[in-house]
Amino acid sequence: MDNGKMKGTKPVLLGIASFAAILLVWETMVRLGWVSPFFTSQPSAVALSLSRAARSGELWHNFAVSLREFAIGYGASVVVGILAGALAGRFRIVEYALDPFLWFLYSAPLIAFYPIFVLWFGLGAPTVIAITFLFSVTQIAVNTLRGIQNVDRRLLRAARSFGATERDLLWKVILPASVPMVVAGLRLGVGRALMGVVVGELFGATAGLGHSISYYGALLKTTDMIASLVVVIVVGVLCTQGLSAVEARFDSWRT
Amino acid sequence: MLKNRVLVSTLSVIAFLAAWEIAPRAGLVDALYTSQPSRVIVTGVEIIRTREFLHDVYVSLSEFAIGFALAIGIGVPLGLLLGRFAVLRHLLDPPIMAIYATPHLALLPIIIVWLGIGMASKVAVVFVGAAIPILVNSMAGVRGVERSWLLAARSFCAAERQVFLKVIFPASLPSVILGIRLGLSRGVLGVVVGEMYQSQAGVGNKIMRYGSEFRTDHLLFYVFLVSLFGFTAASSVRALEEKLWTTAK
Repeated sequence: MDNGKMKGTKPVLLGIASFAAILLVWETMVRLGWVSPFFTSQPSAVALSLSRAARSGELWHNFAVSLREFAIGYGASVVVGILAGALAGRFRIVEYALDPFLWFLYSAPLIAFYPIFVLWFGLGAPTVIAITFLFSVTQIAVNTLRGIQNVDRRLLRAARSFGATERDLLWKVILPASVPMVVAGLRLGVGRALMGVVVGELFGATAGLGHSISYYGALLKTTDMIASLVVVIVVGVLCTQGLSAVEARFDSWRT
Repeated sequence: MLKNRVLVSTLSVIAFLAAWEIAPRAGLVDALYTSQPSRVIVTGVEIIRTREFLHDVYVSLSEFAIGFALAIGIGVPLGLLLGRFAVLRHLLDPPIMAIYATPHLALLPIIIVWLGIGMASKVAVVFVGAAIPILVNSMAGVRGVERSWLLAARSFCAAERQVFLKVIFPASLPSVILGIRLGLSRGVLGVVVGEMYQSQAGVGNKIMRYGSEFRTDHLLFYVFLVSLFGFTAASSVRALEEKLWTTAK
């Protein structure tokens, strides 16, 4: 369908041009007085605010807080998700027993548990970590389960007929064959974990990037709010791009 | 096998509910923190009878419906256009991907500054959350159309408009529906989070209020209500999706 695939650098140039155009239009609209900087701020002011936050150390502090919450919550969900998914993929009865809970967690707006978590864990980092964990764990578990279930039956039969033991099957057939699916789950999980950190911090944190968006928003300091938002967007894009690259490697490794 | 699945799933849910019911009675956990299934049900029946409940459900549902309808109405045509015209796509793809990669709920505070704490800001949050996956998948649907079909249509002298309406649109429909399903859960999340963050009424508003009042049974009733809605909506779109796939084949 994609006839006339653009050669070389043209797509990249167009992409850069589109970002530049957005910034330019934004800045001029404010300069010309068409929109109020109170609502939209302006790129130059946001850049100033960012450099000030970077020099004062506020930016790094917020970043470090969010990163720590992300690392713990996501780390726990990787361990629990892969373990639960693998058990469910290997043993039917575990799958059937977990199924309703996975479905519930998958379709529930998990953030609704936030007030309960505040009751349980108190305001601040532990609650954010719990939400991050809940946001990402189902995705990872479900993908691991599907990955193991979708291993080609013929591969299993072939391995068995050449006398592979159950352990050989697990390590030499099932795990390698399910890796691409598991890695896809890990990537989707990162997106959901990021969402968990930001949303958790929007509500009841005392520090972090999401907190500073919410904090400056409540003070109606649009410039500082947008500066924090820009950092969140950059982190999100970098994570997604990096993980897509990792995933592409694993995918080629399968064939 | 199917019977077995239903049996095991039911047993595991019953075991969970039983443990949840018994633990506070046995004094293992404080019912203030966990509530109990029986209490949630009793509270739920009480809540459903109130007028306020109807009003909250009405507010949340209309915010969701308007935002989601806008997301489909703008996301699908724009996605199809971007899939069709490469220059447009290269121009708009980077900013769209940037929003797609961002936790879109981070936009909530600025949307509140722009649109206030009323219904408009929730409609906007639902729209932003749902429109992006719908757009991206519509775009991918167009790009995934079998090239030989296009060639065949063109060699029988189909006009561009006919190619679009009779080949490209039907062929990308399954992908469009997938986008709608993905957008659905993001939309539901958007309503709830938006209302929890700043609002005057709605289900999310109640969740936040009962949460801060430590009324766990009220809170859990609303949580289950929203989950049930999300689950039912997602299942019906999935059913539609499967039907489309089978007719497509």
